[in-house]
Amino acid sequence: MLFNSLEFALFFPVVCGLYFLSPASWRTPLLLLASCVFYMAFIPAYVLILAVTILIDYVAGIYIERVTGRPKRALLWVSIVATCMVLFVFKYFAFFTGMFVGFAGLLGWQLSEPALGLILPIGLSFHTFQSLSYVVEVYRGRQAAERDFITYATYVMFFPQLVAGPIERPQNLLWQFHRFHDFDYARVTSGLRRMAWGFFKKLVVADRLAIFVNDVYGSPQNHNGLQLTIATVFFAYQIYCDFSGYSDIAIGTARVLGFRLMENFDRPYHAASVSEFWRRWHISLSTWFRDYLYVPLGGSRVGPGRRWLNILVTFGISGLWHGANWTYVVWGLLNGLYLCLGWVFGPMVDRAFRVAGLSEDSAVRRGVLVTTTFVLTCLAWVLFRAESLDDAWFIYGHLATDWDMRALGTESFGTGQFVPAVGAILALELLEHANLRYRWARRVPSLPTVVRWPIYAAAIFVVVMFGVYRSSQFIYFQF
Amino acid sequence: MAVRPQPRAAVTRLAAFAGLMFALALGLDALADAGLRRITTSKFGSLNRVMSGAVNAAVVVNGSSRALVHYDPRVITRATGLSAYNLGMNGVLTDVQLPMLQAYLRHNTGTKLVIQNLDAFSLKATKPGEIYDPPLYMPYLDDPDLYHGLSAIDPAVWKWRHIPLYGYTVEDTRFTWARGLLAFAGVQPPEDYVDGFNPRRLSWTGDFEAFRASLSTGLSYPTDAKAMAALEQIVDVSQAAGAKVVLVYSPEYAEAQSLVVNRREIFAAFEALARRRGVELWDYSDSPLGMQRNLFYNSQHLNADGAALFSEQLAQRLALPGITR
Repeated sequence: MLFNSLEFALFFPVVCGLYFLSPASWRTPLLLLASCVFYMAFIPAYVLILAVTILIDYVAGIYIERVTGRPKRALLWVSIVATCMVLFVFKYFAFFTGMFVGFAGLLGWQLSEPALGLILPIGLSFHTFQSLSYVVEVYRGRQAAERDFITYATYVMFFPQLVAGPIERPQNLLWQFHRFHDFDYARVTSGLRRMAWGFFKKLVVADRLAIFVNDVYGSPQNHNGLQLTIATVFFAYQIYCDFSGYSDIAIGTARVLGFRLMENFDRPYHAASVSEFWRRWHISLSTWFRDYLYVPLGGSRVGPGRRWLNILVTFGISGLWHGANWTYVVWGLLNGLYLCLGWVFGPMVDRAFRVAGLSEDSAVRRGVLVTTTFVLTCLAWVLFRAESLDDAWFIYGHLATDWDMRALGTESFGTGQFVPAVGAILALELLEHANLRYRWARRVPSLPTVVRWPIYAAAIFVVVMFGVYRSSQFIYFQF
Repeated sequence: MAVRPQPRAAVTRLAAFAGLMFALALGLDALADAGLRRITTSKFGSLNRVMSGAVNAAVVVNGSSRALVHYDPRVITRATGLSAYNLGMNGVLTDVQLPMLQAYLRHNTGTKLVIQNLDAFSLKATKPGEIYDPPLYMPYLDDPDLYHGLSAIDPAVWKWRHIPLYGYTVEDTRFTWARGLLAFAGVQPPEDYVDGFNPRRLSWTGDFEAFRASLSTGLSYPTDAKAMAALEQIVDVSQAAGAKVVLVYSPEYAEAQSLVVNRREIFAAFEALARRRGVELWDYSDSPLGMQRNLFYNSQHLNADGAALFSEQLAQRLALPGITR
């Protein structure tokens, strides 16, 4: 079930109503049932896959807590391998067998590629990582194993963040299922406001930009350099608004029900370096890789060469997490390379700014760094969005050529559509900036009803009337 | 510090706000509908004349965008002395052309001849969710022919009619609602239609070359039973209204014809239909016009110059004894 669907518009109020009317002991089972309904709206049978991973990690958690030494470590690995195996079969089997068959072909062995013909269960990478974080935290002794199966299953399947995160840690979310969440008007309306902001990002910004991006990236060879450049910048905003919009809706939905989810984005395109970008982008995944992969590999406490390797491995795997395609792997590696180069050239850049008389507080310095980071990020997004490495290579080669101002529109995106599209981006930047500076989002609730309601009504109508509802799926669902 | 309302009061407040939003949505929806109905120009104005019963033409041209840009009613009127109107619409397949014609015949009188334009894709049915340009129909969903016709194609059409703003938001990305509101304030879109005809002053776009290059094994158009039944019904409802019917396959760029691998099968179906219903089938696909690239802007559509020449040829034939006289 999509957040931006009529079904969810009916589902959510019903779930909320039942939830707040239910006695405490019924609430977690109710949330589990609702999560099953939510998930089964995609492919019903796939709920069984979730059930298997939930069962494995639930049992593993309990036994990992009970035993010590090598059995404990063995149990951890059994759980990790079993959970990852599901991910491998559904997401990476075709990719790796294709690679193997290709490699065998180079050696002169003609093998045929086995085809499982499986559809990737929606959000599999997200709940797999959430399950993994649970068993690792139990292993590390930082989280008590959950004894109540319903509660653990609800932790993994909690519908607001089930299919696209934020990827929660058990320390942040699991205990909340044991608390009674009363109906709190201020919290409920705060959650609804957050959802509305998410819908604005998704429907008004991301989905309108997507029309242009899909046309251009669908056949880059048929578009000129200006269109390719605009599509790349549009994609940067599309993916930000699509994914952070999803996170906002997830956080808002959970908040209405009384749960607090972690923040996943912090205005990433205002980062002044690529490393800062990754502290602001998909925070729940970045910190997951930091805590469960980069640090165990040695992190930054090793020599420069090993540190480079750790970064490249972490980002390479992060790329692969996003999709079983070389475009994602190269995208991840390119971001890792950015970070490594940042360590090398960072001090030189700092010295150059000092020589130019631009201190660290200087707005010009920050402007230059933010713009440079944005451009580097956009160049990396080309790999993420392109349908193949060949397409990405073509786009890189043609971004700066053949700029034809008279041929801006595409088949589905007329020139007139640029007004609402660019207007939506400007509105987004303006509102985010104004909120940072004036905290308007916190002030609105304290306004009198006669002022507040028209503001809410206007906001809702902007989303309803300027939203695009046809390209409905969230980009990150596929991961 | 603000006083927090008790749960019951809070729920009442939320319900009141939701109710207010619903009422506003209803109002805005009605305003957009009313505004679109006030438009006197462009495709909206053309449709408004049809649905308000202001056309009452003797000769009616029905069909897709090829009908829309190929048949000049003024030329037909000049040659035959009969009033004429073009009902062609962009992006409509035969199953949508049927309810449009039914709605026309319900609201207008005096039809003597229906010219049904045929295309290579005339036997293709519209899939649910693929009705083109839904907001165009929004103000007229109370019309039973149109509503039932569209609902038969896409069962979700009830949402367009019964969920306020659904049709203008979910089904549209081009802010048609804003056009309605502007019309309500007296702002009309520019006029580009003449008696329902929309001549296109365009030159050859080059899309055809890219299209042809993308085809490795030619192009096969579907031949759906539903579309065939719709075409039969178009003949039936026209004859039931006392009108003669002529099936016309208007000119098509010659090089494009060889790309359609099941062209013979499609034409055989047209011929069989004409025989069954006792109507004439005029095939202009082998007209010399189809050889002249400068008369087309793409493989399927004549430009204004081509349309003028074709309309003249057609009108002369219509003026011969036995058809309109």
